[in-house]
Amino acid sequence: MNHQILKQNIELAATSVGTTWPLYSFVTSNPLSGYEKQNFKTACLNAYQKTGNLALPDAHFFKDALQTNLLNSSQLAEILKTHQYSGNIDRYFEEIKELKSKSNLNKTQAVDQVLVKWMSVFLDEGLADWEMPNKEKGFYAAWKSLAKYDANLNISKSFNFPKDSISAIEKFTNDISTNEQVKIFEKHFASLHGWVGFLKYRQENTTEWFKKFPFPLADYLAVRILISYFLKVSLPSNFYLTESEQKVFNVSIDCLKAIEDAWQNKMVYQLNLAASNPIQKNEPIDVQLVFCIDTRSELIRRNIEIAGNYETYGYAGFFGIAMDYEDAFSGIKRKSCPPILASAYKVTEEGNIEEENNFKKLKKQHKRSSFKNYFLKRMKNILPSAFGFVEGAGLVYGFQLVKRSFFFKKDHQKDIKYLETTCKTKVEHANDASELSLDERVQIVKSAFDLMGWKKFADLVVFAGHASKTANNPFASSLDCGACAASPGRHNARLIAQLANQTEVRKALLTKHQIKLENNTLFIGAEHNTTTDEISLFDGDAPIKFEAKIKALKSDLKIAQKTATLERLGKSNSVNLAYRKSSDWSETRPEWGLAKNAGFIIGPRALTQNMNLESECFLHSYDWKKDEDGTALNAILNGPMVVTQWINNHYYFSTVNNANYGSGSKITLNIVGKFGVVQGNGGDLKTGLPLQSVKQSDENYYHKPQRLSVFINAPKQLINSLLNNNPNLKKLIENEWIHLLAIDPLHNNKVDKYVAENKWNNLSAT
Amino acid sequence: MQNQVPTVSKIIEPLLWIFFIVSFICIPLYFIQEKVIYLGKYIRINGLSLIIFTTVGFFGALISTYSKRYLQGFTYQKRFSLFSIGFVLSVLFFVIANSSILILLSWFLMGLFMAKLIGVNADWGEARHASNYAFRFFFSSTILLGLSLSILTYYSSSFQLDYILNNLDLIPNSMLVIAAILLIIAGFIQSALFPFHRWLLSAMTAPTPASALMHAGFINGAGILFTLFASLLIRSNTLMLLFVLGGFIALIAQFVKLLQVNVKHKLACSTIAQMGFMVMQCGLGFFNAAIAHLILHGFYKAYLFLSSGEEIEMSNPNKVTKINIKIIQAFFVILFGLAGAVLFMLLTGKTSLNNTSIFLTLIVAITVGQATYNIIREKSYSFGQRLIVSISFFVIGIVLYAVFYNAVSLILNESNFVIKPHQLSLFEISFGILFLASFFLMKLGIYRNSPWLYVKLLNLTQPNKNTILKFKS
Repeated sequence: MNHQILKQNIELAATSVGTTWPLYSFVTSNPLSGYEKQNFKTACLNAYQKTGNLALPDAHFFKDALQTNLLNSSQLAEILKTHQYSGNIDRYFEEIKELKSKSNLNKTQAVDQVLVKWMSVFLDEGLADWEMPNKEKGFYAAWKSLAKYDANLNISKSFNFPKDSISAIEKFTNDISTNEQVKIFEKHFASLHGWVGFLKYRQENTTEWFKKFPFPLADYLAVRILISYFLKVSLPSNFYLTESEQKVFNVSIDCLKAIEDAWQNKMVYQLNLAASNPIQKNEPIDVQLVFCIDTRSELIRRNIEIAGNYETYGYAGFFGIAMDYEDAFSGIKRKSCPPILASAYKVTEEGNIEEENNFKKLKKQHKRSSFKNYFLKRMKNILPSAFGFVEGAGLVYGFQLVKRSFFFKKDHQKDIKYLETTCKTKVEHANDASELSLDERVQIVKSAFDLMGWKKFADLVVFAGHASKTANNPFASSLDCGACAASPGRHNARLIAQLANQTEVRKALLTKHQIKLENNTLFIGAEHNTTTDEISLFDGDAPIKFEAKIKALKSDLKIAQKTATLERLGKSNSVNLAYRKSSDWSETRPEWGLAKNAGFIIGPRALTQNMNLESECFLHSYDWKKDEDGTALNAILNGPMVVTQWINNHYYFSTVNNANYGSGSKITLNIVGKFGVVQGNGGDLKTGLPLQSVKQSDENYYHKPQRLSVFINAPKQLINSLLNNNPNLKKLIENEWIHLLAIDPLHNNKVDKYVAENKWNNLSAT
Repeated sequence: MQNQVPTVSKIIEPLLWIFFIVSFICIPLYFIQEKVIYLGKYIRINGLSLIIFTTVGFFGALISTYSKRYLQGFTYQKRFSLFSIGFVLSVLFFVIANSSILILLSWFLMGLFMAKLIGVNADWGEARHASNYAFRFFFSSTILLGLSLSILTYYSSSFQLDYILNNLDLIPNSMLVIAAILLIIAGFIQSALFPFHRWLLSAMTAPTPASALMHAGFINGAGILFTLFASLLIRSNTLMLLFVLGGFIALIAQFVKLLQVNVKHKLACSTIAQMGFMVMQCGLGFFNAAIAHLILHGFYKAYLFLSSGEEIEMSNPNKVTKINIKIIQAFFVILFGLAGAVLFMLLTGKTSLNNTSIFLTLIVAITVGQATYNIIREKSYSFGQRLIVSISFFVIGIVLYAVFYNAVSLILNESNFVIKPHQLSLFEISFGILFLASFFLMKLGIYRNSPWLYVKLLNLTQPNKNTILKFKS
């Protein structure tokens, strides 16, 4: 068979499993992204057929909905009737439980075990000191060179290994039709979908590890096929639901829809539809603050607005800068923009001239701390110092045990600000390290103002990125900025502030685009710590005349931190509690991240001002009147909306089937290869959020598994035309991966729900 | 909204901390009194009991504090607390037992509770299998210990431990040897020493704090058992066996640790190596050093387990560049190594050059040398700083250890057998040299060139097949 076709079939089959991101840059993506062309329900069923992983909410989710009136029992009875379900409501709940607790023996256990053993040693990113031999030759070749010593495989001496992976696959599949081939590959992939997902990640992102130690999907298939052959294990059969199980599933999906409808109605009832025109304030605004669209921003924004004469905006937290950030000391490069964007820029640090010495000091500090790690590793690994070291350092560890159990950090400010005051960001093109032209810089700043529909500038404007700070948490990066590919957003914030402060940029904004920035407007970068709701301003080089204003802002931010944490944690002394959670090594739920996300509101703040959205909504500032041709909205739909859909779907699947789409409980997780986790003694690589990120307890959800409802404050015709130009987005909505609702300003902000083919259904709070 | 912590878990935490503090205070009191306390014939509280009380009290309390939050929302949090306290109590029971039956019973209970902790998540198929698997090991260990104790009890016609150990003359020599070997195997199983290590590598189904308790508490079984029965081991001339086996296991396990790719298995292999070393210390006649080692290792390993969520790190693949050492640097490496050795000998009183203590001294010397070797080449420090860092590193390390070691030795004082260094035999010397030479083997990295060895060692450390990927849920 043609090798090219074979390779295509492999790629095609691989779309049946999701991508597993490494935990150091944990992107909350849709595990069923390969099924997005299908209807949501069909996709769930197809994925079940192939992988055996059923995505179905627990019975108590529906029971809770009955209690909170998002679903009523007559509605449920109606749905049961529609599907000709014979039992009553209680029986239905029972059946969900039975269906969800089904557990089968793993028929390919023998193959999976051997393969996991080899994959994990090959893919290791530095946990082991003694690497798998011959790794640089690629997985298939390396495995081939070792397999003959693996007693588990019983390979006969006369066996001749095919020369490369493609020929191995060909040898075993050449008499099979293309269609069959894809199905077989899908089954092989599904058996270890987490590990395969990680291979996909490495391949798609051509990471340094992939370049040095190649592991293409074909190698996985080849080795798996060979091991199956040696161990005489045949392919597993597909998974099927019985007729009654199918009914239970159908009923559940309809219930889910009913709950989402009810939630949307509730939102419409709450939204301040009369005031889509900004509330006119008489006095000039003191400070404007821009936050990420993240659901966690809603809480802090509301509390800041209450604390003083402030105006807040929502904008994707990478602030429109498609960049990678390179650590100035380790040289490690991380993506710092949505994973759907290619990084056009590379950003790093350079020492401020007057801070040259401090910069050197920081460099030295970094060197010493990496020496310390290296030193400890050597002492622990090498014979016989491993024994001497334990005896000499044992008491110190004993002391540390007590310290970390009882004495928690109170303040993180110092940790992050030192670098930011000593250095300033330096930006260049990613491909050729050339400088940015004036036009490009102006464009970055201008897009921000365009997308947010900015009208008037206050004297002080703060761009606040966000990051989390947690201890002993393998999933730390899942709490960082999703729009920055799970990096902290502060460097993007610093950069956009720096660009907006440049005199030539402002001149060009005025002359070319009629955007008038008064000379006395100062932009500063900041970081919102979502675990403690502390906001650090990077105001090191702010002119002296802003001192008073900044000081007042800082004290108001402290007040906002107090009220926001009080609301979030519900206890007095909430600020201390937040710091405790942030530095306690035994805390498995340091913060809730984006849990409970259910809506995305694109429109002016006035729509949502003064109402408590309970951190359920992403908020993007937008003014349709400043966007006649829809360019800004188009950018929002293709960027932020897709990112929020990923996040929302990820939370959905991690919640409803945490063992397979999530990571299971943190308490038994085991870090593998410095990039991922497995449960207990090993097994498949875990792909999603842990139980503690989405559930209150082993039994009860915290996140409400609902599909995202996107509310757009723009005329329906505009939305229609944009959707017609973006068939992918249209499909996504028509296939019910997300819901789209228009708050139409041309029809008195009446709310309509998109159904299909530019048809809308009326949905008004009556 | 907040999860309720089960009442049991809430009560146990302060109780254990109080218990720890009381035990700790009792140590100096006991030391002043210098009297073993008997409660009837079969309960005896001595120095060793108090040391273990304090240690287990500390770890038990620490784990209960940690898991109070860590396990919030876990369906079986209450059971976890009950099993933990059950385990702690059986250890306490074990170290005050003065009767062969009580010893056996508490040994059994320790295993039972630990196996229960491994499978505490009863909803998880692999965990249930891991629990049963471990229990089979522990039960076998109990049987072997039972046989050993039966022999001792039969020949001395007494159930009373101190009587038996003071009257080993009553027992024929061959029987002594058999009893000792049975006891040694029982200890090896519980301490997961090769070839009985597999249960430990299959025990990661236990929640992290249970693993910490396992690696800081349970796993030390052999050390405590051998110290309790030190006179039997000495009389039966089996110390050499312990020395060689312990050393051998320490060596292999340390190599095996190098190829582990998940945190918990890496820690487990490290534990096996450290337990091997502890047994080796017993074999050298330094039971007090073994007790000190098991406590210090407990701190070390508990810390690493409890912080095992910190191993996620982004990095780039890179080859370590070799840096050559200058002559002046080599001079300081040797000088500090020797200085460390002298300091260690003086502070711990191991001043002999021709008995087994020299072996421990050499390990200290090499450790100090290795530390200096790394520090003295670090460019981010000035040369003067490097010298100061090196010196403070080894002086502080040795002083801390010496203080701890001497304290433990003082308390264990009343038992005549805890420090029994002996003259080195030629065999021991040669094995010792082999052991120390492994350092060069490791340094040179020759082992890396053997794919065969890699595969063998990798397969040696795979968990039991029923405890991984058994089910599709």
